[in-house]
Amino acid sequence: MTAESTNSGTSLYKTDARTKRRNASEARFRIYGMAAVGFGVLALIVLLTSVLGTGLGAFRQTFLTMPVALDAATLDKKGNRDPAEMAKVTTIGYQKILEKALIAELTEQKLIPEGMSAKDVGGLISKEAPAQLRNKVLANPELVGQTITFRALANGRIDGYFKGRVTMESAALDSNVSPAQLELADKMRAANLLGLSFNWGFIFDPDASELRPEAAGLGVAILGSLYMMIIVLVLSLPLGVAASIYLEEFAPTNRWTDLIEVNIANLAAVPSIVFGILGLAVFINFANMPQSSPLVGGLVLTLMTLPTIIIATRAALKAVPPSIKDAALGVGASKTQTVFHHVLPLAMPGILTGTIIGLAQALGETAPLLLIGMVAFVRDYPGAPPEGFLDPASALPVQVYNFTQRADPAFIERASGAIIVLLVFLLTMNILAIILRRRFERRW
Amino acid sequence: MSLGILSLIVAALAAAGFFLGRRFALAKVAGDARRLHSLPGYYGQTVFLFTAVPAFLVLGLWLLIQPIVIENRVAGTIAPADIPEGSSVGLVMSDVRRIADGIERVVSEGRMTEPELAAHDDIRGELASAGVALGNDVRPSVVEAARNYRDLSPASSLAMSGLVLALALAGMAFALRRISPDFRARNVSETFVRYLLIAASTVAILTTVGIVLSLVFETVHFFRLYSADKFFFNTVWNPQFRGGSDLGIWPLLWGTMYVSLIALLVSVPVGIFAAIYLAEYASKRVRAVAKPMIEILAGIPTIVYGLFALITVGPMLRDFFAQPMGIGSSSSSVMTAGLVMGIMLIPFVSSLSDDIINAVPQSLRDGSYGLGATQSETVKQVILPAALPGIVGAILLAASRAIGETMIVVLGAGAAAKMSLNPFDAMTTVTVKIVSQLTGDTEFASPETLVAFALGLTLFVFTLGLNVLALYIVRKYREQYE
Amino acid sequence: MNDMTLTERALEATEIKFAARDVQVYYGTSHAIKDVNIDILDKTVTAFIGPSGCGKSTFLRCLNRMNDTIDVCRVEGDILLDGEDIYDKKVDPVQLRAKVGMVFQKPNPFPKSIYDNVAYGPKIHGLTRNKAELDEVVESSLRKAALWNEVKDRLDSPGTGLSGGQQQRLCIARAVATSPEVLLMDEPCSALDPIATAQVEELIDELRGNFSVVIVTHSMQQAARVSQRTAFFHLGNLVELGDTTQIFTNPKDPRTESYITGRIG
Repeated sequence: MTAESTNSGTSLYKTDARTKRRNASEARFRIYGMAAVGFGVLALIVLLTSVLGTGLGAFRQTFLTMPVALDAATLDKKGNRDPAEMAKVTTIGYQKILEKALIAELTEQKLIPEGMSAKDVGGLISKEAPAQLRNKVLANPELVGQTITFRALANGRIDGYFKGRVTMESAALDSNVSPAQLELADKMRAANLLGLSFNWGFIFDPDASELRPEAAGLGVAILGSLYMMIIVLVLSLPLGVAASIYLEEFAPTNRWTDLIEVNIANLAAVPSIVFGILGLAVFINFANMPQSSPLVGGLVLTLMTLPTIIIATRAALKAVPPSIKDAALGVGASKTQTVFHHVLPLAMPGILTGTIIGLAQALGETAPLLLIGMVAFVRDYPGAPPEGFLDPASALPVQVYNFTQRADPAFIERASGAIIVLLVFLLTMNILAIILRRRFERRW
Repeated sequence: MSLGILSLIVAALAAAGFFLGRRFALAKVAGDARRLHSLPGYYGQTVFLFTAVPAFLVLGLWLLIQPIVIENRVAGTIAPADIPEGSSVGLVMSDVRRIADGIERVVSEGRMTEPELAAHDDIRGELASAGVALGNDVRPSVVEAARNYRDLSPASSLAMSGLVLALALAGMAFALRRISPDFRARNVSETFVRYLLIAASTVAILTTVGIVLSLVFETVHFFRLYSADKFFFNTVWNPQFRGGSDLGIWPLLWGTMYVSLIALLVSVPVGIFAAIYLAEYASKRVRAVAKPMIEILAGIPTIVYGLFALITVGPMLRDFFAQPMGIGSSSSSVMTAGLVMGIMLIPFVSSLSDDIINAVPQSLRDGSYGLGATQSETVKQVILPAALPGIVGAILLAASRAIGETMIVVLGAGAAAKMSLNPFDAMTTVTVKIVSQLTGDTEFASPETLVAFALGLTLFVFTLGLNVLALYIVRKYREQYE
Repeated sequence: MNDMTLTERALEATEIKFAARDVQVYYGTSHAIKDVNIDILDKTVTAFIGPSGCGKSTFLRCLNRMNDTIDVCRVEGDILLDGEDIYDKKVDPVQLRAKVGMVFQKPNPFPKSIYDNVAYGPKIHGLTRNKAELDEVVESSLRKAALWNEVKDRLDSPGTGLSGGQQQRLCIARAVATSPEVLLMDEPCSALDPIATAQVEELIDELRGNFSVVIVTHSMQQAARVSQRTAFFHLGNLVELGDTTQIFTNPKDPRTESYITGRIG
């Protein structure tokens, strides 16, 4: 036989040509594998650095700091410090005051360039700053007549200049900002009138209009997401646990149970946007619940999260060894007592871990929320629960989407910043889940 | 009475019922718990359940049904003559709601009382000053309907509060009266709990029914306004808000398939090779680092990938490939969306494949090594063929994800509905169009809006088919080694 | 243990196939095989017996370097195949395993057709030039494994569909197809019923004509039936090696005696 002769009688010390070829192909295969893993890891790193790189800027903002004289004659004509009366002075009045204060400060420091109009100097201040000053005064009418140190948001273009988004060249072509304004900003920075500092407003303030990227914040979105998470937690945890207990411990094996199981497996893989359509058709059009409300968002996300929680809970219940059940049944406990006194507490860490992971998924979900009206521009914080669940609100991931739909490139920075906030929440939740698992995990 | 307070009262009643029930039971046997059929707590539990559950059930149902009932009653009062030419009851009803809302604001600002406003000549102007803009002049019967609407809501709320409280009290009384030493409280409350569990498990079914009904119902509605033939066979997608739209699904399906194909071309080889490497080659340390890193990709929300496509991948592909090669100038393209989606899908393919490869018994590996096969020969000729059904299932699941994915294509693929072969062209997908047709203030009864439901149904059927097939294959595969 | 060379001379076969000198095997920190010295002869069936965990399977797996696939396993000492150290750096385990085939405890046919199962080895090692030669190798291997008559009509059906005994003979055919010089068998009959066991034992006896066979077994009756030489392992030590009849009738070491009379095991 030919085969016999090929094999025997050769020395093991000599690698034959065919084995060399095979080893080369082995090495190639291994490199493909390494390349694939490398590609995945690299993609993650590029993704994170790209988001972090563009988004970190959103947490620092350019502010102008200056003394502002709150002139009683313009702000409170009657002089009775009644906020209702004072509310009649609109933001335009406050804008004038701010402009005047800035020019006064700059004149004193001899910084105003030749021939720059008062309007151009005032253009350094954000359009949002007068409204903020107005709110501050209305909240504390006693400030009127005093001179306070006010930290005003700088215009988005000025902010962009310090973050490298706006250059002298681009400013020359831009109708919203001029190179002269940028030079002034440079001088003011040198004189410590203007500078970047941590931007709490980005986290706590509501969204702002298309023209005021510098004032846009995530306050309403974070609150809206929080409300939805509360609803999801309150509804999906008990429902999911109850459904799992039934399926795992009580359900007879029959067609109906089978149907439920197949259903759950399929629901877990239904595209999220279909849940959005469900929410729109059932909750909003049929049941007339208010659009953009955290209630509808929470309900839709609950339905989406349920399969995840059910699958995790059933795995946790299954992991409790039957010997424990037998022991409880053996001392005369009823089936229900056995489940609720013994199985459920032992499965709880697993259930909670699954729930947190489900919540994290729900927190990042965007598409279904677009369909139930959460894209709406919402500036007012929703009220306190439970009525606040019906108020219009935004959600973190939807806010990211909203930012990306706006023309000003400053919003890209905001969108990435919002994603950082979102990722921080997700990371916290996942770490919590890992800690829970580590702490309470039991090996039987 | 506000919803929160009502719920709190019912909860408090239920809690009180628990303690009352317990005490009642103990009182019946003069404090000797041994003479009771069940532990005293179970008597309390039955009272708790009978107090809280029916009341909350009715509360939920009422909240769901109340708007529909009011809507119908008010709509009934609008005479057909008051519905303008070319409008519908639905449109008039939305006016009614807005007027009711406007009246509420005017009244709450204290400018006028409701009857004063109703008698006012310029209701439209008055409402506009309160921030409620109306499209056309307001007919008296519509104002009447709006006032009616406003009156009905509090009346209904009051009725609801009364009914819910009455039910809670009645349930409590009923349960308390049943208490006696021989009452099998534990069995009753356990049966009750079991029914609650069963009810919870049907939520999954209800969700599916809700999805199917809402999709089918509105799709039928759509096909009444727009022919199904044209929807399925027209190759032009061009919605017009003045009517006469072309709503052919083909350009959208083409875009969806093209993006999904590219996504799979990226994710399947990378995912499978990564899974093979991690399962067969990597040292424990590499595995401990690389596996979770790849799995993090699965935990990142899709909006993040969307933004990544928009700000990084899109411009990069445009500047380094499409423009120098002269084949495209758009940063959103099938390639951008497909590539980013491919990255997103890597962990789906790799972790499922990893599980499946690890499920191949070690004895098969030994058999192959024992014959002198190299590791890669073993993987290619023994492990992969053995794991193939499972891996095919994983790929099908990934494909279903790709087809249903929304945010990446919304931000990365573009909005132009066209059928082109150039992967650097912007194209659009089914999910993008569902979003764009259903967001924004569009008239709900128009085919341009309703088409989204037909698209949704198509999407649902496609993904459902893929999922069922994938689950079936994976299940069959698992059975093979169990 | 010097007296084992004496017993060797008594045997008719002369050529030494494997020679192991001072072999130590460690799993992490545990010392699994201690100071094993053994010669395995060509065209002879050698049986390794001993209680569970005595190291006999571990030692068997050293002979074709299957232990390489376990990370924590470390082998010291020399194992020579035809005078060449198989643990030498220059040796490719892939080539070694083509010469030293292995059959496992549990039948492990690949999820492929019967034909492809047998053709697998010749294909990867490139032993045949064309399909006709491959057909010939498959047929002769299946004949050697006494399976040909049972499967010749269904070579395309999956190997996993055969009965347990048939599966194990298929695995033997698969190992034989690469024309190895040595065939290692790790408790090949432990998963089989008595009838299948008898068939495999008969087969082992026939294979002796072409190969050196090393078989690990739990059953002393089996060792007595199929082997010419027997090695007794205990707690990682090679206690006694000798002619099978001598070991079973007149063991020199008291431990061997205890084992075969059933006092340890």
